[in-house]
Amino acid sequence: MEILVRRGRSLFWILSGLMMLWGAIPLAAQSPSAAPYHDFDKPGKATRSSNPAQSLPPVQPVPAHATPSTSPLRGIKFLPSQVSLAIPLLNQRAVVEATYADGHVADVTSQAIVTSSNAAVAQPDKQGFVHPEGDGHAELMASFQGFRATAPVEVKNFTAPFEWSFRNHVLPVMTKMGCNSGPCHGAAAGKNGFKLTLRGFDPVTDYYTLTHQAIGRRTNRLEPAKSLILLKPTLTIPHGGGQRFPVGSPEYQVMSGWIAAGMPPPKPSDPRIVDLQVYPHEASLVPGALQQLVVMAKFSDGHSEDVTRWAKYDSGDEGVATVNGAGLVTMHGYGEAPVTVWYLSHVTFARMRIPYPYHIDEAVFQRALRHNYIDNYILAHLEQLHIPPSPPAGDAEFIRRAYLDGAGILPTPAEVKAFVKDKSPDKRDRLIDALMKRPEFADYWAYKWSDLLLVTSNRLSYPEMWSYYNWIRSSVAQDKPWDQFVRQIATASGNTLQNGAANYWVIHRNPIDISENMTEAFLGINITCAHCHNHPLAKWTQKDYYGMADLFARVRLKMGQPGGARPGIGPIFRDVTVYSGASGDYTDDRFSRPLPPKPLGAKALPINTTADLRAYFADWLTSPQNPFFARAIVNRVWKNFMGEGLVEPVDDMRDTNPPTNEALLNAMVKDFVAHHMDVNYLIRTIMQSAAYQTASKPTPENVVDNKYYSHYLIRRLPAEVMLDAFSQITQEPEHFDGYPLGTRALQLPDTAVKSYFLTAFGRPIREQSQESERSAVPTITQALHIINGGTLNNKLRAKGNVLDKLMKAGDSDTQIVTYLYLAAFSRYPSSAELTTLLGHLQVAEAQNVKGANNPRRAALSDLTWAMLTSREFMFDH
Amino acid sequence: MFRLDADKKVHFCDGVTRRDFLHAGALAMLGLTLPQFVDMKAMGAVDPKKDINCIQLMLVGGPSQLDTWDMKPDAPASIRGPYKPIKTNVSGIQISEIFPRMAKHADKFALVRSMYHTAAAVHDTGCQMMQTGRLFRGGLESPNYGSVLSKEKGPKGAIPTNVLLPYPIGQLGGNLPHGDTAGFLGKKYDPFVLNSDPSDPHFQVPDMLPPDYISALRVDRRRDWRKLIDQSVSYFETSQDAKLMDSTFSEAYTLMTSTKARAAFELNQEPEDVRKKYGMNRFGQGCLLARRLVENGVRFVTVNMFETVFNEITWDIHGSAPFSPISCMGNLVGPMFDNGFSSLLEDLSDRGLLDNTLVVATGEFGRTPRINPAGGRDHWPQCWTIVLAGGGIKGGQAVGSSDSIGAAPQDRPVQPSHIAATVYHALGIPIDLIIATPEGRQVRLVDHGFDPIMELFA
Repeated sequence: MEILVRRGRSLFWILSGLMMLWGAIPLAAQSPSAAPYHDFDKPGKATRSSNPAQSLPPVQPVPAHATPSTSPLRGIKFLPSQVSLAIPLLNQRAVVEATYADGHVADVTSQAIVTSSNAAVAQPDKQGFVHPEGDGHAELMASFQGFRATAPVEVKNFTAPFEWSFRNHVLPVMTKMGCNSGPCHGAAAGKNGFKLTLRGFDPVTDYYTLTHQAIGRRTNRLEPAKSLILLKPTLTIPHGGGQRFPVGSPEYQVMSGWIAAGMPPPKPSDPRIVDLQVYPHEASLVPGALQQLVVMAKFSDGHSEDVTRWAKYDSGDEGVATVNGAGLVTMHGYGEAPVTVWYLSHVTFARMRIPYPYHIDEAVFQRALRHNYIDNYILAHLEQLHIPPSPPAGDAEFIRRAYLDGAGILPTPAEVKAFVKDKSPDKRDRLIDALMKRPEFADYWAYKWSDLLLVTSNRLSYPEMWSYYNWIRSSVAQDKPWDQFVRQIATASGNTLQNGAANYWVIHRNPIDISENMTEAFLGINITCAHCHNHPLAKWTQKDYYGMADLFARVRLKMGQPGGARPGIGPIFRDVTVYSGASGDYTDDRFSRPLPPKPLGAKALPINTTADLRAYFADWLTSPQNPFFARAIVNRVWKNFMGEGLVEPVDDMRDTNPPTNEALLNAMVKDFVAHHMDVNYLIRTIMQSAAYQTASKPTPENVVDNKYYSHYLIRRLPAEVMLDAFSQITQEPEHFDGYPLGTRALQLPDTAVKSYFLTAFGRPIREQSQESERSAVPTITQALHIINGGTLNNKLRAKGNVLDKLMKAGDSDTQIVTYLYLAAFSRYPSSAELTTLLGHLQVAEAQNVKGANNPRRAALSDLTWAMLTSREFMFDH
Repeated sequence: MFRLDADKKVHFCDGVTRRDFLHAGALAMLGLTLPQFVDMKAMGAVDPKKDINCIQLMLVGGPSQLDTWDMKPDAPASIRGPYKPIKTNVSGIQISEIFPRMAKHADKFALVRSMYHTAAAVHDTGCQMMQTGRLFRGGLESPNYGSVLSKEKGPKGAIPTNVLLPYPIGQLGGNLPHGDTAGFLGKKYDPFVLNSDPSDPHFQVPDMLPPDYISALRVDRRRDWRKLIDQSVSYFETSQDAKLMDSTFSEAYTLMTSTKARAAFELNQEPEDVRKKYGMNRFGQGCLLARRLVENGVRFVTVNMFETVFNEITWDIHGSAPFSPISCMGNLVGPMFDNGFSSLLEDLSDRGLLDNTLVVATGEFGRTPRINPAGGRDHWPQCWTIVLAGGGIKGGQAVGSSDSIGAAPQDRPVQPSHIAATVYHALGIPIDLIIATPEGRQVRLVDHGFDPIMELFA
């Protein structure tokens, strides 16, 4: 072994294909597609697909919106509201949008009559474009079914000399056509000897490649039509990537025009894009509706361009809306889909929606419980979508859920009984407060942050691991504000046994690794792509990436005594001291010199600064002005309770991955910051909301919803929680090597502790600060282990376990079944359940099952097994 | 009998014990001289021409090309190493003397002597690429061949479609994934991992049968009651995970109660001489188990020869601790492979299964042509040799060649993606299949530009 590749993700990153959105696709929704390979740039298959109309449950459907003929028209307007034509040859789209009384809109451009007040300045055509005719001002007018709208038009530079810009026109065309995408010439190795930078992130290199390489055959300025970059994509000569555009198309005109003009190179003085807007930004439409999007790019010289044709589009849910390459959206199924728009390095999105076809009485939303501001946002969104919330969860359902989500434990039968009996109106709030004071609450959150901070004896000596863990747990126990907690990690210095937080710097040792983990763990941002090329899904460039890494180039470790070796890691040390050196920079091979240290999107420090770089970074990282920091933790805590993050996956926050309810996330972030980033305040606010306290049972109208929080989303218990619950209910603790009997799985500081059960049920190994390390996916191995394996069976069989105790106390079967229901399901059995089970027990207890000495004991064991393997137990609901 | 480790002090008085799970299976197997494949063929479930299985033998550590299948006897001693070439039953093909049995089957296998890869020279990258055809990048974990096969073709009967044995590859030093999971296809298609050692005298699949003290009657009772209790939350049906949990339980019960499926895992059904022929070691017994699994409906079996290269004798012959010396190839690792692989080919061939079972034996890279100061060879992804047989592969040939010292491909250079294309081609899965990842990325099964090595096929 000469070389060790560092832990975690591979160093080689190329994103193929598309930018895409949203979170994990349900397994069943995945399907292969037999599209030909060159279709890679088509928008991806729908993810988290909403149910198309035909699969809706049998409830009485009414039209989502009244049809245009039945809902009165309220007005029309132009999108965008003005036309500005500052570049010769370029048109602008003007969409006529109608608004109806029931709130829906429709693109009526093709039916409206559009005229210009001055044909010498601008002329509209039938397709919805406005053409410049001469410098000056004019007014665009539309009329539709008796309603009128106007928009000012300004035409400038009509006779000015014009040339296509390599940076702002030619490269966007090539990007749009997919030439420089991951699977084609944007691949790290290029394709068939022709290599472009991914999505055109390096115009200078691409210019050289196109004009100088391959003995200049790619571009022929004397006979532009004979340029390879025109012959190939038009399929005039064979092209492995098929035809990308035909001869004479606007794409062809841009490319050939630029070649004919002598191929002007990219210049530092080129205007740069500063803003990207899409119209409409949000729209509620009817099924089958077509909506043309208009995308306007604003440049640093002040001019705006209609880039609708050159932008790339992607629907976040193709079950709801599809979008073609021209920005024309077709509405299909019910729900909401963000349509992402990408142009040059900018991203924006339009939220396109078809409300579900239910007539939900307004009173449903008015009557719905609102415990705090969270509920206002959730209900407003549900109302837009015509999805009713489920009724509130009962006390039993609430107490079980609160204990599991808040502290990773089940309430005892006594706690359930007392809570159900309590008649005071504030009992839920009091339960939340009491729960948050329990040691198990601190255990649970310390475990969660230990997952995030990768506490494991695979990388730290045992004393160091304990020091790290104890620091985390005591921070949780004293409710340390999140910014303080993270700041203490980011600036940690000193001896790792005395300052537990300093162990972060022992686990992450080089600037690249630190930089990637900091952004992933605390900002929920994955910047790894930018290791090799600009991030294709986010705005991060390689300069951002390496500038950030340079912030950590001065961290030094003074190794103490050898603490043994770990396979694949090498020697580890005890008594390490972390300190900041006075100088030092990180230089990557691709830049000849180090880049000034610079947090993502923030101001750089001078390269030779003597400032404390980590303090500067920590100031930026934990600042309330940092747009990512509070957002990431709010989203993580939200997911813990609600089952699904507002952004999914929680560690992949970026512009191309918008939240399902942006207003709610913004409001929560604001509230969290206003409360000094108090995590317990955040937890309490979420737990107190009516949204969290909604029943898990869906109604016929909201069963389709798995992301708008109309009902509580059920999920399998995490490995540690399930194992602890087995121990708690059977009163048979689990033995972990090296830990005193009675230690719960959630009290282990280390995920390297051997446990077949925990491994089989998806405990994370703590190699990467990613949620996906933990798995709650059921497998055959798990089922076999539950049915036949030792973990549960031994606890059920153990002498002196809960069944022996209850039997010894002389409890009847009725009492025992009731006890077990309270212990496992946090509820009383219904009388029907009780009768049925007692009947079965009676038969079983009379059966001669001599594998066991006592038929009653065997029958009760079997019943307990059946309860502890049932869905109602295995799932949080 | 079956479970040597079982608690013997149990009573079987209700007449219905876990032994009932066993007996039917054992009896059935006594008469089962012709493998179940024949039954399935009779039922029309298997078209031997189209329904190709695959056994992938992962030679973890990276066998030295120069000491195995690409000998350079004319090179200086510092390069050619301690072993001598021997003739095989195909004229013109010579292999190392460490494989005397394999030499008798050269007509059944083909060699690719011009493998190379360009990723970092660590074990993990090669494992990834040889099991998925791709280096993992951009957060994209490509699926194992077996997972793709599972997804595309589904199960044959009660037995899992894709089985990995004995254990997943563990720590190889790079801390990267090894390409043995379903990756972006989703965990539903992960292989069923054996997680036990088939050469262990107490070998059993973990948790395949209930403990002795739980009789069949009790297993049934538990199952019934569980269903009964589940009725109170029937609305859980709307959750994908709840449905998946139900299906994992029913698959587990199917496996437990299918004597045929379970018997496939029962190595002690094999005569002692057959077991010995494969070698009474983990790899040998793994090969034997792989044969039994394929006979009984498993479509894809991965056999990891080793799980780590640390402190164990493996192909990773750096010559110094904690790795292996070159001598282990002659006295331990070589014979281990020779017996396991040769027996597998013999049995598959004798039973008419070779035509529809592709066997791929591959390491993750080759070794340095020059012997290092420790007397070993270090990592060398620039050139190595892999072995393929069955599943339409034309035996008795060597495709591609290396230069005079085995340092680089001389002609027909082959990359891992070509092997992926070749494996999928043999399995009848189109290499241009487009699969959507959970994030919606559309990924071609095999990267554009990598085609199957057609000359390998008959």
